[in-house]
Parts: sequence; C-alpha cells; structure tokens
Amino acid sequence: MWEFKDKVAVAGVGYSKIGRRVKESLASLTVNAVDAALADAGLTRADLDGLGTSPSMPRYGGEKGHTEGIDVVDPWRLAERLGIGEQMGWTGSTNGMVTQAFMDGAMAVISGVCKYAIVYRALHVPPGSYVNFEAKYAEGSEQWHAPFGFSVPPSWAAVVMRRYYELYGYSRADFARFIVDNRSNTIKNPNGYWREPLTVDDYLKPRMIADPMSVLDCDIPIDGACALLLTRTERARDLRKPPALVSGFAASTHPIPPGGSFTLEDILQGSDQVARRLWSATGFGPKDIDVAQLYDGFSIFVVTWLEGMGFLPKGEAMAFLREGRGALDGELPINTNGGALGEGRLHGMSHLSEAVIQVTDRGGARQVAGANRSIATISNGLEKATAFVFSRDA
Amino acid sequence: MEQSQAAPLRPIPLPDEFTSEFWAATREHKLSIQRCRTCRHWNHVPNLSCRACGSEDLAFEQVSGRGKLYSWCVLNEPPGPGFRDMMPVIIAVVELEEQPRLYLAANLLNTSADKLSLGLPVRVTFEALGDECVLPQFELAA
Repeated sequence: MWEFKDKVAVAGVGYSKIGRRVKESLASLTVNAVDAALADAGLTRADLDGLGTSPSMPRYGGEKGHTEGIDVVDPWRLAERLGIGEQMGWTGSTNGMVTQAFMDGAMAVISGVCKYAIVYRALHVPPGSYVNFEAKYAEGSEQWHAPFGFSVPPSWAAVVMRRYYELYGYSRADFARFIVDNRSNTIKNPNGYWREPLTVDDYLKPRMIADPMSVLDCDIPIDGACALLLTRTERARDLRKPPALVSGFAASTHPIPPGGSFTLEDILQGSDQVARRLWSATGFGPKDIDVAQLYDGFSIFVVTWLEGMGFLPKGEAMAFLREGRGALDGELPINTNGGALGEGRLHGMSHLSEAVIQVTDRGGARQVAGANRSIATISNGLEKATAFVFSRDA
Repeated sequence: MEQSQAAPLRPIPLPDEFTSEFWAATREHKLSIQRCRTCRHWNHVPNLSCRACGSEDLAFEQVSGRGKLYSWCVLNEPPGPGFRDMMPVIIAVVELEEQPRLYLAANLLNTSADKLSLGLPVRVTFEALGDECVLPQFELAA
C-alpha cells in the first residue's frame, strides 16, 4: 500500500472555453483555466507555487507547431504570464502524457516543495488536417508507418478494434449503445463539446476514418485547457470545495510493440501491469470502484481498459457495454461526463476531472448517487499510460 | 486542374544508421530483418540493442517473406496527398513466420477488404516508390 494514500487531494477544477478555431490564444485559454481552478478552491494566484504539464502538440507528418502560447504553453512562460514566477516551488514538464505530470505534482505537494500545484493541459487545433502526412520524407519511427498510410493514429487503434471484433465475433453494431449513451452523458456536461444527441443509426452510418474506426470513435481536436489544483488533504479540507482524495496511481512501462504499432495483446498486457500496480498501491480492486473514467481518445480503449483492469474477463467487455451495463444508471457507470469523445481532446484531463467531480458530488444532472470511488485510466495501457483512484473524503 | 495531375509521391522512408540495411535490401527485392547474434532473437523495427537480451551485436538476415495477417484496417480517405490515386488503402499488420509477435506493417495489395480474416497466409512483394526507394508490401499467398 502506498504510504501517502489519501494524503493529497484535488481541491479545484477549472476549464477554459472549449471550442474549435476560437479567437483567444492558447495562452489566454490556459490562464482562464488556471484562474477558474483557483477560484473553485477559493484561492488566488498569490497562493499558487507549483505548475506542471506536458507541453506537446500531438500531430503527425505536418508542421508540428511549437509556437509558445499558440501551439503549446510551457510552465515557465505560464508562471511569467500569471505573475507568479518569483514564488514557484515546483515547475514540471514531462515528455510523457500530462497525467504523468499529475503524478509528479502529487509528489511535489507531498514532499513539501510547493503547497498548491496546478497541473494543466492546453491543446490547440492546428490549421489544416491533423492527419494529413504532407512531409516528403518519413524519418525515425515514421519510416515504418507513413509510406503505407499508417501514420494516422486512428489507424493504430483500428487494427486493435479489428482484431478484437474478429477474435470475439463482435461488430460495430455491438458498440452503438455505448456511443449513443456516451453522447447523452456529454449533453449533461456543461463542458461537453457536442450538444446534439446521437442515434444508433448515426453511429452505423458515419464517416469512416480507418475502418472499423469511424469519426464517432475518435475524440475531436479542440482549443481549450483544463486545470486541476492539488494540495495536501489536510490543507484541502479548509478550502471552498470538498476534496477528492488521491488514493493511488500507477504507470505502464510495457513497450509499444515496435513493428506493429498498437496490438491488442500488448495493450492488455500493459493494462494488466497497470492494474497490478494500481490495486497494490491502493489496496482496492475492481469491486471497490463505483464509477469508471476510461480513456476514450479512441473508443476501443474503453473496452481494453475494462478487460485489462480486471473489471471483465477477456472478450466480454463489448457485451457488457452492448447491454447498457456501463450507462449512467448501469452497474458501473463509465465516462459519466462523456469522456474525451464528449469533451474533445484534452489528453486525459477529462477523465481526471470527472473522477474528482463524481466523488465530490458535483456532477449535477450526471451525478451518480453514492459514487465514493472513481478510477481514471489514461492512454492505452502501453508505456506512459497511467491510472488513478480518487476517493470521497470520509 | 489539380485533379488531372498525378499524385505526388507517398512519404519516402529516410534510412538512418539503424535502418539503412533494411532499405538497401528492399531495393534488391529482399526482406531482411535485424537479428541478434548473441541470442538469435529477431528485432523489428531495427534497434540499437536486442529487445530480448540487450546485446548490441546485431546483423540483418534475409527472411522468407511469409507470414500471417495479424490485423488490418481500411482507409477510405487519403492519409496524405501521395495516396490520392490508390484508394482505398488496406493497412495490414503481418506476423512474420520466423518468430511469434514479429510484426511488420505494410499495405495489402491486389485484394479487397471483404476477403480478409485473421491468420490468412500472406507473402511479401515489392513496390517501387520513385527512383530511390522500394517498399516491402504484402499480398495474399495463393
């Protein structure tokens, strides 16, 4: 069991406006999200002495976009813009996903190098298509993918989805109910990008991106930022909102299979490794979890996380979803805010923030009664994937 | 006007210190995979050290070019300007027969998606990409 279980908490959640091609710069959106998280906790910039993120632009084969304040927002420039550079105890910037920075932030707060840390993710929609490989040459790892058109990230998820469907005899029709219910959850979430309901027919006749992956199986790139405020639990209890306790976390070190991009078997092995670490750190198991925020940058990862974390045996998660058992009123409500499919591409922040919201009874129309514990899993189980348990304060 | 012109080339792999032997072999219509001289493990994609034992004593050896269809997907929209004239694109992940979980990704040529299922036998074929590069591709084995 982790020595610091429940000793650090999330005490504030802040979102900027979420949209596409919005007028404000990414730096402005990030400042808005940070100020919102501070206000949520009843704090001001004068209190803030920690900032961390993963300032990267996930784009392939086009002009990557490194412009500070437009494409990315690093913690040093953000501290300067917030006017808090002189008071910083921790500035974190990771090459992993932002959820690795969240783990670093929790450890920074526990260690005492800072009192109040904000972990944020700011993402920008670049001009043109995200997945149009325009470069003449394919360098590094791209030489194994781009010449074959395999540079499109949805295609990496598509071969996972295809193998799962073929191995267990499912088809896209089996996934429709989950996707439709997920949109209903999104509409109950004020931060959701999508506002119109979906039908099963909408899911079965969409634009296919990489068959069997459709546009409705991918999170949409957005302009926006989300910020979470971390502090020690004892300090969090004096703030404006009830704290969500960090019961534990874990990260994957299972390598991405080099020749084939993502494979179902490696994803399940990596998820199983994360599961063992997470349940060991927290002392919990699947039966202790009331609601689940499972990463859905690509929809099929909801299925692989359900099986990899031990909620369901292999091959059974799709049937579980088909029967509505992951719906808001089901036995394990999944992605109660609509996840990344609903909020857009915030690289896991949607899942962390919703876990916090559920265990503090702040979910409004989408609140699950008695949600004492939420898991949040981010990415796909392969290296850099992470998982967390958030608990209600007793 | 735009539509009447030939599509530009697909992205051309840029060989580096680890991969130049792979691409030199495909130019001679041979599929060569990096192999560990210490433990005989095959490594693809080529790496500084063996993924099984950590040895840096590695060399390329020709493989049979036979394997099984591990998984696939179909692109109906061009993933780059160079693919405009070859839609739809079938992307195959092939498990080579030399070693379990030795995967290579390429396109599956001369077939259609409705003929595919897991485990179908496939074999390598070669396709020129401009004057400087030959891609390893796959087709269904008879």
